[in-house]
Amino acid sequence: MDLMIKIKSQMPVVIVLFSLGLFFLLPMGSAFEYSIRNGLEGGYSFKNYLWAIREEEFFYYAFRSFWLSSVTVVVTLVVLVPLLTWLHVTKSRAQGWIDGFSLLPLVIPVVAFAVGAQLALPDFVKNTVLELPFLYFILSLPYAYRALDIGLRAIPLKTLVEAARSSGANWRRTITVVIVPITRMAVLATVALTFALSLGEYTLTVLLHWDTFPTWVTFVAQENLLGAIAISMMTLIIPFLLLAAISLLAPSNKNER
Amino acid sequence: MPVVLQESVEANGGAPSKRGATIRPSLISIIPLLPFMMIFGFFFLYPIAALIYVSFLSNENTFTISNYVTAFSKPYNEGFWNSVKLGLLSAMVGAIPGAISAYFLEIKGSVKVRRVIAALNGVLANTGGVPLAFMFTAAFGIQGFITVFLKFIGIDLYANQFSLATFSGVLLVYTYFQLPLMIIVFSPAITALRREWREAANNLGASTRKYWQYVALPILFPSFLASFLLLFASGFSAYATVNALTVGNFPLTPLQIGGLLDGNVSATQVHLGKALGVVMIVISALAVVPYLLIQRRVARWTS
Repeated sequence: MDLMIKIKSQMPVVIVLFSLGLFFLLPMGSAFEYSIRNGLEGGYSFKNYLWAIREEEFFYYAFRSFWLSSVTVVVTLVVLVPLLTWLHVTKSRAQGWIDGFSLLPLVIPVVAFAVGAQLALPDFVKNTVLELPFLYFILSLPYAYRALDIGLRAIPLKTLVEAARSSGANWRRTITVVIVPITRMAVLATVALTFALSLGEYTLTVLLHWDTFPTWVTFVAQENLLGAIAISMMTLIIPFLLLAAISLLAPSNKNER
Repeated sequence: MPVVLQESVEANGGAPSKRGATIRPSLISIIPLLPFMMIFGFFFLYPIAALIYVSFLSNENTFTISNYVTAFSKPYNEGFWNSVKLGLLSAMVGAIPGAISAYFLEIKGSVKVRRVIAALNGVLANTGGVPLAFMFTAAFGIQGFITVFLKFIGIDLYANQFSLATFSGVLLVYTYFQLPLMIIVFSPAITALRREWREAANNLGASTRKYWQYVALPILFPSFLASFLLLFASGFSAYATVNALTVGNFPLTPLQIGGLLDGNVSATQVHLGKALGVVMIVISALAVVPYLLIQRRVARWTS
């Protein structure tokens, strides 16, 4: 009897999961099946995947995207953590303004932003690939700012800062040894968000004529479509499996039902 | 200890040290603000301001609105119309199933199920773009599994010249980041629905239908509208997917701007692309600004 009630109450979830699964996994599975086909000989093999990872450029661009995203994460944390700590501790009147600023990138379509950046940034900036982490920082600002803000709101920040400061810690030490470890879940969320956004960013990168992993994939498609499909499958499936594994292993939050 | 020491020094100090104490903190305290304002100003505010300014310049750098006149005539007005239509339709197609899925997942789903779905949504909504386009090329290609399967059950996709590079094809692919995005942005609204409200309504004699009509839907509607607006903005300004899918020859404003920026398409007016960009910003702002205002309102009274 209990079992029947349980099944009945779980019915909507099962239906939702089944339809979502059909909707998401059918094209994904279909594309995967296509990507492991052997071509004219028939049968299946991973030769398209092997082809992709044997391409020298695969690791070149994967590495490039990786370090550009890492720089973006560093820029984001170095700029935002002290800024938000300061805003919360001093309860500065600037907070309203900065909150508003942080949301502005949501309003501007990335294509329009790319045109503006191409137009306005001086050549010495446009000539170095290091412009990308700063532009990625702007793109991820609405999300990163909010994620950190929520984390800092949840702790007695002022008390902690006063305690650390009166124990003789300077600001740098207060932030790295006290604030970041306490808000580590929010900091981790910010890192993951910023990193994922930078890693997958395509529009701005391609319009400013830079090559990173995502833009390389569209280039590959012109000579080997099956290879490009194989790479696309990897960039969808690997992050999903990683994220799912991490989120399943993470301790459950008290606020979650 | 150092704090106490500092205070006693300040308390005992005369006028000069007091002045020093007020000036020094205000100078030091602005330091955390500087890197942010410098980066934000230089990499964001300045390019956008320049974009708006230059969009009003003619080829000879005199003031003109002719860029905008061209932007609102053929073929660019078609681009805007298609982009707005695509934004609205893809938001509609994503919003309703997304809201229903979010409801059942949040209310009835276990923590593990919700986490796996959240991971899938995160990947599809944020890093989707280009990989999605190639995934669909494979799945719905002439020899794709779905095409073959549909043919087997009697539906010949290619009988009517089906192509992913058409309006309906692009719409189909957009659903794959719009629906996950809807689940991500709408779930917090569902979580904010308190169980007590339903119990209170039931205790006062409300039926399930009455509960939905007078309690749940009015509470959820502003968040639904806000999410819809965000989905519209995301569908309206998306570039990556459609660029990879159609090789850039589809009448959508983002692609037209991309073509002008690359120099693939030549225009007699050098600054036409900037005017198109400004119009895009205005349309996007019409959706995103109400979205932000509603979100703020909702956050104020649900917390």
